[in-house]
Amino acid sequence: MSNTMLEVRELTTKYITRFREDVYAVDHVSLKVEEGKTLGIAGESGCGKSTLALSLMGYYFPPLHYTSGEIIIDGHNITGMDPDVVRKMILGAEIAYIPQAAMNALNPTQKIIHFIEDVIQEHDLYVTKKDIYERARILFETLGLPAEVLQKYPVELSGGMKQRTVIAVSVLLLPKVLIADEPSSALDVTSQKMVIKMLRQLMETGLISSMIFITHELPLLYNVTDDIMVMYAGQIVEKGTAQETVFDPLHPYSKGLMGSIIVPEKGLRDVKLAAIPGVPPNLKNPPAGCRFAPRCKYVREECTLHSIPMHEAAGRRAYRCIIPEKELREIYAKEAYRNAR
Amino acid sequence: MKGYRKYFFNKLAWYLVTFVFAFILNFILPRLMPGDPVAAIVARFAQGMSNATGVQAIYQQYTELFGTNKPMLEQFFIYVKNVMRGDFGFSFSQYPRTVADVLKSSIWWTAALQFPAIIVGWIIGNTLGALAAYRKGGFDKVLMPVSIFVSSLPPFGMAVILLVIFGIGLKWFPTSGGYGFDLIPSFTWSFMWSVIVHYQLPFWSLVLIAVGGQAIGMRSMAIYELNADYVKYARFMGIKDRKIIGYVFRNAMLPQITGLALAIGTMVGGALVAEIIFSYPGLGSTIFTAVMGGDYPLISATTLIITVMVLAANFIIEILYGFIDPRIKAAQAD
Amino acid sequence: MKHTLRQIFRSGKFVFGFSIFVGILLIVIIYPLIITNHPLEIVGQGTFFPPGVYVNVYDSLGSTSYTLMLEDAAAKRIASKLSEGDRTAIKEWLVKAGIPEGEIDTADTEKLLDQWVNNYDPNKNIPGMTNAKRNYFIRLNNSLKGLLSTEGVSIAVKNTETGALEESDFVGQSEYVNVSQVASVRVLPLGTDNFGRDVLTELVAATRVSLQIGFVAGTIATLIGLALGLLAGYVGGLVDDIIMFITNLFTVIPTFVLLILISFSIGQDKRGPFAIAVVIGLTAWFWTARAVRAQVISLRNRDHVNLSKLSGHSIAHIIIADILPYIASYVVMALILQISAGILAEAGLSILGLGPRTTEVPTLGLMMNWAMIYQAQILGKWWAYFPVIVVIALIAFSLNLMNTGLDQVFNPALRD
Repeated sequence: MSNTMLEVRELTTKYITRFREDVYAVDHVSLKVEEGKTLGIAGESGCGKSTLALSLMGYYFPPLHYTSGEIIIDGHNITGMDPDVVRKMILGAEIAYIPQAAMNALNPTQKIIHFIEDVIQEHDLYVTKKDIYERARILFETLGLPAEVLQKYPVELSGGMKQRTVIAVSVLLLPKVLIADEPSSALDVTSQKMVIKMLRQLMETGLISSMIFITHELPLLYNVTDDIMVMYAGQIVEKGTAQETVFDPLHPYSKGLMGSIIVPEKGLRDVKLAAIPGVPPNLKNPPAGCRFAPRCKYVREECTLHSIPMHEAAGRRAYRCIIPEKELREIYAKEAYRNAR
Repeated sequence: MKGYRKYFFNKLAWYLVTFVFAFILNFILPRLMPGDPVAAIVARFAQGMSNATGVQAIYQQYTELFGTNKPMLEQFFIYVKNVMRGDFGFSFSQYPRTVADVLKSSIWWTAALQFPAIIVGWIIGNTLGALAAYRKGGFDKVLMPVSIFVSSLPPFGMAVILLVIFGIGLKWFPTSGGYGFDLIPSFTWSFMWSVIVHYQLPFWSLVLIAVGGQAIGMRSMAIYELNADYVKYARFMGIKDRKIIGYVFRNAMLPQITGLALAIGTMVGGALVAEIIFSYPGLGSTIFTAVMGGDYPLISATTLIITVMVLAANFIIEILYGFIDPRIKAAQAD
Repeated sequence: MKHTLRQIFRSGKFVFGFSIFVGILLIVIIYPLIITNHPLEIVGQGTFFPPGVYVNVYDSLGSTSYTLMLEDAAAKRIASKLSEGDRTAIKEWLVKAGIPEGEIDTADTEKLLDQWVNNYDPNKNIPGMTNAKRNYFIRLNNSLKGLLSTEGVSIAVKNTETGALEESDFVGQSEYVNVSQVASVRVLPLGTDNFGRDVLTELVAATRVSLQIGFVAGTIATLIGLALGLLAGYVGGLVDDIIMFITNLFTVIPTFVLLILISFSIGQDKRGPFAIAVVIGLTAWFWTARAVRAQVISLRNRDHVNLSKLSGHSIAHIIIADILPYIASYVVMALILQISAGILAEAGLSILGLGPRTTEVPTLGLMMNWAMIYQAQILGKWWAYFPVIVVIALIAFSLNLMNTGLDQVFNPALRD
């Protein structure tokens, strides 16, 4: 029985716009990540993935605000803790974050080592600069990064190198959870591979205990993650293992997303999540009932009446749709048959 | 260090080229005027002077000194040679003083007024702009419109407003001159005090104008930087706000330095006019009297000196900038 | 387009600036329709008449007179002749002349004047008194004569035959005329300038000319900047290098110096308002060229531009259809700033004495220049230059505000 590294219960956060409107970008999200596991989060852009990543840190600044729910890291509930304590004790140390645009994630006018000094001194007051340098050097070399990088400014590094440096800096304090938000999206193929290799290495060497991986790219989702959650309009619409979610999606939205994969493995190459007609709803006033209903091919009258809870399905799966699992499978099978003809 | 040296010499070369270009313009623009330049000059200074023998003397001296009857190219080299020796000929309107003599005193008044004012205005403006970006709310809401208003004013407008309020209304400060008209320049306490008192209104009118413009610029830069990705990342690595604000303002300040280099020419131009309002004995007032007296040699020399001052100030700013911003060295090293 | 306009007019800053600007425009257009006097008509014989209502004295004598019994009339009359400063001066003189200080009360007008009349002697030598001060007391003494009398004044007419003065009319102290019944009254809300011209009428005309100068200069600068920016950004290569070299040169060389040299060089006869506007425009395009070039470079390789290129459209077509619409907002903002800068540049040049040489129309800068030459700021004749500054500031402020408003609409990051 492995330990739960991160558990989130019914977390809700909102943006407050400059017109004082509330936008619920993360709506009653619950999730669990076990030690040594990677949880993938999939969805179109604008579905709340990145906001979820920010919300999981337990540290909020405008325009994002905490509304309700709990975040438990390695058995410690961090909700309701003083923000300054969260900052000192949790951020970077227990839970770390790799931003989407790692290209610009480092202060352009600061040497890497000076940023590292700032980070470590924030969490450990009594460490000397010499120790920090040693620690950073060893970590960088373990991860295959030259130690000279430490003495450079971000502008002097290539894109891939910058991204890997950001990853290395993020795991300096051996966090229990690492949240990677599209860590490779802006890179060329070679750099992408190196980044993925590096993330795997982090997990294998035990530098981090668990990871949440957010991505657009299907092959990464399948290859890197153990479990997958699909998000739509701030809600989780489906969760299950990577294998199940990618090759046997239940929710019509997941089905649409994964729809383009016909042949496993071979077909996964360079395939992005499929395009579904229409756009995600405006979260300022989401549709009543099922939020996907306006775009759903299988929409029924009841769909728009009440909000839809998650339904358990075979194994440890769950999905948010009023159509029973069996019926859904029949619909999909018929459709596949029709398409094949 | 190698990168920096390369940057330095690049800049130096660029400014030399610019200077040569400005110098040629300064020489050639007045000579482009239609008609015989000598006749035009004579006609012009004859208006300004009543003394007929004086006119004759200057005319001959001027023709000899600048060879105005020789071909243009030759004139140019004579001009270069004379300027190198600091010889700009006699002033038409203040004969028998030489142009160099007239300028010798006014340069210092202008330099001592403008550069400190611009620097002080830059510092105050950036601090206020940064605060507005960080604190937002009421402070920002008040500071911004005031800054836009103040920076809309031409420096001579601000000069007039301060003059009316503090000079004429409250009578706190004298309204004109660089020192009391009954004093003789010397290193005495009463003279120094008089200079300081006369300095206040021109100085603060220039400072206020600079503050407005810089505050607006800094606010935009700081807001832009506050939304930068590195701010978010640093926050999530647990770095405290005070330190992040430090990163942001340092980075936002850098473009403000280059901005200052680009704006300094405009600022100096405006400030020259402000001098006239206070009859401040600097280059602005010199041009004013020179224009009234049709004093061509004086105008030409003054514009050249102003150009040199602005170019030098620009050069110094860019050189310092290279020291402060690591990206410069990095970019040159490739 | 409609949507953009609606968004722009939702920006408070823009609307505020726009209202001020339209207000100024309306005044400039409507005022001359009502007051049709020539703006440079010399009405006053003398310099710097203060603002106020000017009533013809001759006409007032001829118009119907009314008797009003106003208690404070006498007090006001005395107060207007005998200021606080005069009272202290009188006291000073009396003390020096040997009257004990305790006996003098500057608040008791009657007693003070009594003491003055009884003791003052212009020939009396007071030690340590300057000549100017002595003259002041003589003037003061003359103006006080008859101040306490309750009699009116006789109006005398010279008999054409004998040459003797004959009383024709008598004006009592409590006689009044109704201003609306006096044949000739001139309101000079801002007084007159150094040449005796009505400052308000002149100011309105000057504002119009300055706005025209700003508009012409701004348009020229923006058009040149736009053309060269497009050329440099889109064509690139050598053309770009040359244009950028020139642009960089002129961003460092102070524009104001160029303006001085050029305006001085073109000579007084040719320096009309239009010529000045053209000169300002010709020396102000560098910023616009720079900014447009940067925008065009970022657009040059966008998909829709590439598509257009592949479809074989001409450069002109691509620039008009695929690039201009994207930088239009930018160009409008640049134009607004250029207009404001043009007005300020004219003012600066004119103050130096290098402005338009004209006897037909005033400009804001020329008004400043005249006031400065006649040292209005030192003489305290605020109405000759302060309103000019206010108008310049309002125009520049409204344009800058519009620009800031537009900037916030088009660059959302700058919103709060």
